Amino acid sequence: MAKKPEIPSLEEQLKRLEEIAQILDRGDVPLEDQLALFSEGMALATACREYLEQAELRVKRITE
Amino acid sequence: MKNNNELPEGAVSVSELTHAIRGLLEEGIGDVLVVGEISNFKQHTSGHRYFTLKDGDAAISGVMWRSRTLTFIPEDGMEVVVGGRLSVYAARGTYQIDCMYMRPLGVGGLYAAFEKLKKDLAQRGWFDDGRKRALPRFPKTVGIITSPTGAAIQDMLSTLQRRFPALNVIVRPTLVQGEGSAEDIVAAINQMNQTDADVIIVGRGGGSIEDLWSFNTEIVAEAIVNSRLPIVSAVGHETDTTIADFVADRRAATPTAAAELVTPITVEDLLYTVDDLRERMIMNVLENVTSLRDLAESFVDGTAVRRISERIQHRSQRIDEIESRIHRTITHHVLLLQQKLDHHTTHLATLHPERPLKLGYAIVERDGKTLSIHDHTQPGDRLTLKRYYEVARVVVE
Repeated sequence: MAKKPEIPSLEEQLKRLEEIAQILDRGDVPLEDQLALFSEGMALATACREYLEQAELRVKRITE
Repeated sequence: MKNNNELPEGAVSVSELTHAIRGLLEEGIGDVLVVGEISNFKQHTSGHRYFTLKDGDAAISGVMWRSRTLTFIPEDGMEVVVGGRLSVYAARGTYQIDCMYMRPLGVGGLYAAFEKLKKDLAQRGWFDDGRKRALPRFPKTVGIITSPTGAAIQDMLSTLQRRFPALNVIVRPTLVQGEGSAEDIVAAINQMNQTDADVIIVGRGGGSIEDLWSFNTEIVAEAIVNSRLPIVSAVGHETDTTIADFVADRRAATPTAAAELVTPITVEDLLYTVDDLRERMIMNVLENVTSLRDLAESFVDGTAVRRISERIQHRSQRIDEIESRIHRTITHHVLLLQQKLDHHTTHLATLHPERPLKLGYAIVERDGKTLSIHDHTQPGDRLTLKRYYEVARVVVE
């Protein structure tokens, strides 16, 4: 079965967000790159927040 | 005269007699439920089990075929209840109970069986901590195996919803007590292992030792040990301990505690982390930009490096540009949040238009216009105070 392309999971998004924050912490990348990372990070933070705030338990029942 | 070889009048063959006995016993007695003490219990290599059931005055043979499920390990001397059919074994001229199921008798019997199984499984290493797996830190899908009715399932779902609603839950309803429940739980564990669940909770609410018995069976213990996915057991209340608890990767005292164990990180934790990271990014970027510009400007002001000052000035200007772009990005995000907040506020206001007035606050108007927080009043201003039950006109001193 072919693997379907997946939207990055919440965990992956958070991992990326932390990674970006760490790079910006160190401040050792060119300013242009910092700006790009910053934009990406802010968008990720907003997306994660919205996802978490709107999340609802998805319950599925299975039987024998 | 009759031939000597001929049968005497009324005589029957052994087979005929046995056939008649079989008819009497198998049809005349048929299904039985017998209480007795186990002796000479033997599990043949074929998987069939042979034993004698006895009391002070009598004994009867019993057989339990491999295809029948035995939910505990019988031991000689144990009091049991056996259900089955009486059957005649023609080749030997014996009768026996063809046993469909067997369970320990009474609470004493159940405790004895529990201790026996506990000892056996401990010797097999099934309780060893080294065997147990860690629960996922970040499960996407939680499998729940429990009764579809009762408080346990409700407790677990509401706890998951409260702590981490960004979850998929797969519920596999099962019998949790009575005949067939152990087999159903085993089937459910095996089935749940075919799904994309990351962790399984197996459990039920509290009950007597008889009610919890299926969680004290060898087949359920075996299914938990063989599970590909880590399992949290959640059987009964704090004081109830079952074999399932000993073999599970984690034991939860209650179904609610199990739901907490599988959601080590809550949505509040994550929101806090996200906000913290957002703040850190803003602070760092601003700091980096500022320090770079200061550095650049210190060169520009200096006289020693005139040669490169032009390039630096150029850089400095570039940094200014980037800084304002960053400010715009921040402003954009702040605006988005502001809009969201405004939206919620407006929404709330439409829900409760009179709420502030009911609380005793007043709306202040000047010339028919409501005063905002930024409007100032001056002595002599004529104002209208609109309150919930009255309207007052006042003059500012």
